[in-house]
Amino acid sequence: MIKEIKEQKVEDYYDAVVIGAGNGGLIAAAQLAIEGVKVVLCEQHNLPGGFATSFVRGRFEFEGALHELCDYGPVSNKGAIRKLLEDDMGLDVAFIEIPEAFRLIINDPNEKLDVIVPFGREEFISMMEREVPGSEESIKNYILLSEEIINAISYITESEGNPEKDILIANYKNFLKTAPYTLDEVNNALKIPKRAQNILNAYWCYIGIPTSRINFTFYAAMHYYFLIRKAYIPKYRSHGYTAALESLIREKGGTVLFNTKIRKVNVRNNQIIGVETNQGDKIKTHHVISNASPTLIYNNLLFPKTEVPQQALKTMNARRHAISCFVVYLGLNKSAEELGINNYSYHIYDTTDTEEIYESFKTLNPPKAQATICLNNVLQDCSPPGTCILSITAFFLPEAWENVNSEDYFNLKNRIARHLINTFEFATKTSIRENIEEIEIATPQTLARYTGTFGGSAYGYETDPWDSFMSRLMEMNNEKYIKGLEFCGGFSANCQSYTNALLSGQIAAFLTLQDLEKKGDSE
Amino acid sequence: MKEEKDLKISVKGNIRDLLAFKNLTSQRRKNIEHASEEFKKSDKVNELAQILHPTIQNLMISEIIEETKSAKTFKLIPDPDSNTEKLAYFRAGQFISLRVNVGGVIITRPYSISSSPSDSLRGFYEISIRKEDHGFLTEYIWNNWDIGTKIKSSGPNGYFYYDPIRDSKELVGIAGGSGITPFRSIMREIMEGKLNVNLTLLYGSSEENDILFYEEFKEYEIRHPEKFKLIHVLSCEDVSLEGCEQGFITADIIEKYCDFNNSSVFICGPQVMYDFIDKELSKFNLPKNRIRKEVYGEVKDVLLLPNYPKNMAEKSFKIKIKMGNCTKEIPAIANETVLVAMERAKLAPPSICRSGQCGFCRSKLISGEIFVNLKNDGRRAADKLLNYFHPCSSYPLSNLEIEVPRS
Repeated sequence: MIKEIKEQKVEDYYDAVVIGAGNGGLIAAAQLAIEGVKVVLCEQHNLPGGFATSFVRGRFEFEGALHELCDYGPVSNKGAIRKLLEDDMGLDVAFIEIPEAFRLIINDPNEKLDVIVPFGREEFISMMEREVPGSEESIKNYILLSEEIINAISYITESEGNPEKDILIANYKNFLKTAPYTLDEVNNALKIPKRAQNILNAYWCYIGIPTSRINFTFYAAMHYYFLIRKAYIPKYRSHGYTAALESLIREKGGTVLFNTKIRKVNVRNNQIIGVETNQGDKIKTHHVISNASPTLIYNNLLFPKTEVPQQALKTMNARRHAISCFVVYLGLNKSAEELGINNYSYHIYDTTDTEEIYESFKTLNPPKAQATICLNNVLQDCSPPGTCILSITAFFLPEAWENVNSEDYFNLKNRIARHLINTFEFATKTSIRENIEEIEIATPQTLARYTGTFGGSAYGYETDPWDSFMSRLMEMNNEKYIKGLEFCGGFSANCQSYTNALLSGQIAAFLTLQDLEKKGDSE
Repeated sequence: MKEEKDLKISVKGNIRDLLAFKNLTSQRRKNIEHASEEFKKSDKVNELAQILHPTIQNLMISEIIEETKSAKTFKLIPDPDSNTEKLAYFRAGQFISLRVNVGGVIITRPYSISSSPSDSLRGFYEISIRKEDHGFLTEYIWNNWDIGTKIKSSGPNGYFYYDPIRDSKELVGIAGGSGITPFRSIMREIMEGKLNVNLTLLYGSSEENDILFYEEFKEYEIRHPEKFKLIHVLSCEDVSLEGCEQGFITADIIEKYCDFNNSSVFICGPQVMYDFIDKELSKFNLPKNRIRKEVYGEVKDVLLLPNYPKNMAEKSFKIKIKMGNCTKEIPAIANETVLVAMERAKLAPPSICRSGQCGFCRSKLISGEIFVNLKNDGRRAADKLLNYFHPCSSYPLSNLEIEVPRS
């Protein structure tokens, strides 16, 4: 081997190794670097961000994944994410508020609906009453319950996962009573009219399982942050803040290694002892924070295999990898106004039956749902004057794409993309196909290519009640199978979404810090 | 007005609801207990992702075809002694970036694949290379490459391909010199019935002897005159080739042979040709989505770049580089890219397109000043603000300190 390349290998001891520079990994590494911990962040791709990225084609810079960032909030009333990025990380990154939740269009002639879902408590309630007369009281109760749930979650988080039973029962009884149930079960208990549920549930595609399976607590919390606290997007796409986090880690003395894929996570006697990479690095450490999923760690990376606890494999196999995304990115050579694309976000469903839609994610037929955004309706100058950026997102379960081969791959992408474009044009009565200047299509394979996520899954593990936020949190300590190993990101206890993944990074960093400090005391 | 009363929810009855909460963890434990303790066998989605987008393809030359006195086609197959079993499928018009070790200096060069995507399924790629005068790499290739020579390449890359959703079925191709290679791939795809388009190709060469694939194209024209029309445009003085045009590819020639208003135009050629064609095309006022240009790799003469500070061209600087565990100081010169300086220092930096576009060489500029070729500037907006740059399209204008990912 050439001397100059050999010299590039890393063989030092690090206090902590972070695997993967997604939302969770970046925050974890940044938090540890800020605390003065000797940390190295290893990322297999040549960019930070994981899904939280952007890419350039011609004169367009496309947002990779984000539609809206929840719990960011205005300066006057900072949400958890603004506090995390601005106060804890000290970043100065511009985020812009989006104007309304989304425009919901249902194409099924029997359930026809075309309504703009607004942000804000009062606005939301009066829109619901307007669309579904008589729904007001049940919707108010839904919001009241959601408020109790987020207060309960704050309390549980503040108690570091050890809430006092008496306080829970005294203050958060409704939370306790609804936590085991699905969205449908609780909505029915609240006597929300069916047509109102159709509107209320429209956010479900960002959770990714049918409303008959979504854990109510998780949905209500996410939905509440979104509706009431509004949502934001970064001015320079997700790459804007992920690249800023990458810079921050370096500034604070952390190491960032790109094109560096972890090959082995070495374990001895149930304790992390180091990692090895595709670059030939042999790094000694006792602490790993993994932004890669438990599936990848236990199934592929832990070494030797005899150190993989049976219980860890069982846990992995009990859980289901959630949906992946299929995105059609379009750079259009007319402005949004000229094309009649007036909204930022569109949720377009063929039917209100979420089980039927979820079933459509299992085959290679066109998915029966899409979430589409036009970036220019929030970031006017995100593309040159007289152009705009539209991205259409649909969903698939990993299994749908398992038997695709190389030769069919490109045609398949085009067939599905064409259908999604047609559906958008039909639902919004616009015409865009003559104006496509750049088109790029991401599939589950694309997501796998850039992040290595198992099956191309974008949403972590599915959040049925038994494997949703509450149950994961309550069992977190029991399911800690390897000493020195913490998880962050969409597959962690926090569940998926940008917001949860970012917050999970800080939690993983604090848990690792606690361990490091404990060891410091004993040594 | 009615006071908001306390919410008392009951889903399945008060007691059952509270018990259900307690049962959350026991349900979870039960599900885990009943699950398999086997390792998962495979992940086919990731497997196909790797097959489509390998980081490295280990190739071997199986055949060399002398196309003209200065151009050869190399047929590449998977290296039988490596773990590369299959070649990655691609879209006609894409390139692979070769990674060649020239006496310890590891450099990359993007070459359009001149064979068809179906050929890759049959087990081979072809690339066609023209020998450049004083070309660092082509000189090496002519002296060293033979049947059996092993070569590493990237996976297929680039955005110069026909897209059925975006592009018109009527294609106009404008090729200059070895810029013909992606069109040969596209043409084979058409002939194989895999691409349903009609192609009118204007192919500029300096003289008759420099034309690549003359016989093969002729045969396609005879076989499918309705699908494929080729016009040779020769820039030399003496032109004897039947039916060809003399001079450069001008607006007049384009108009004479093409239905421009209903076509998508694909252009591939050297830097000088783009400068010329841009002016000619501006006469048609075509919407931007009707024109696609292939990138042309590194700029040969920086002095031709707009705004390049010409007084700096000969100046030498030092670049302090951090790459993985290694920190080094290397020499650099203002008229060569930062990427080339790193390659000369045998650092094997990452790169694929060498045109500022793919971002694979993205690095952090810690201090110093660079000139960025704005015609080849594929940087993300945030990267510009945060001092990230693409070494393949950036030139040092002072001593630099940079951090570069390993390849």
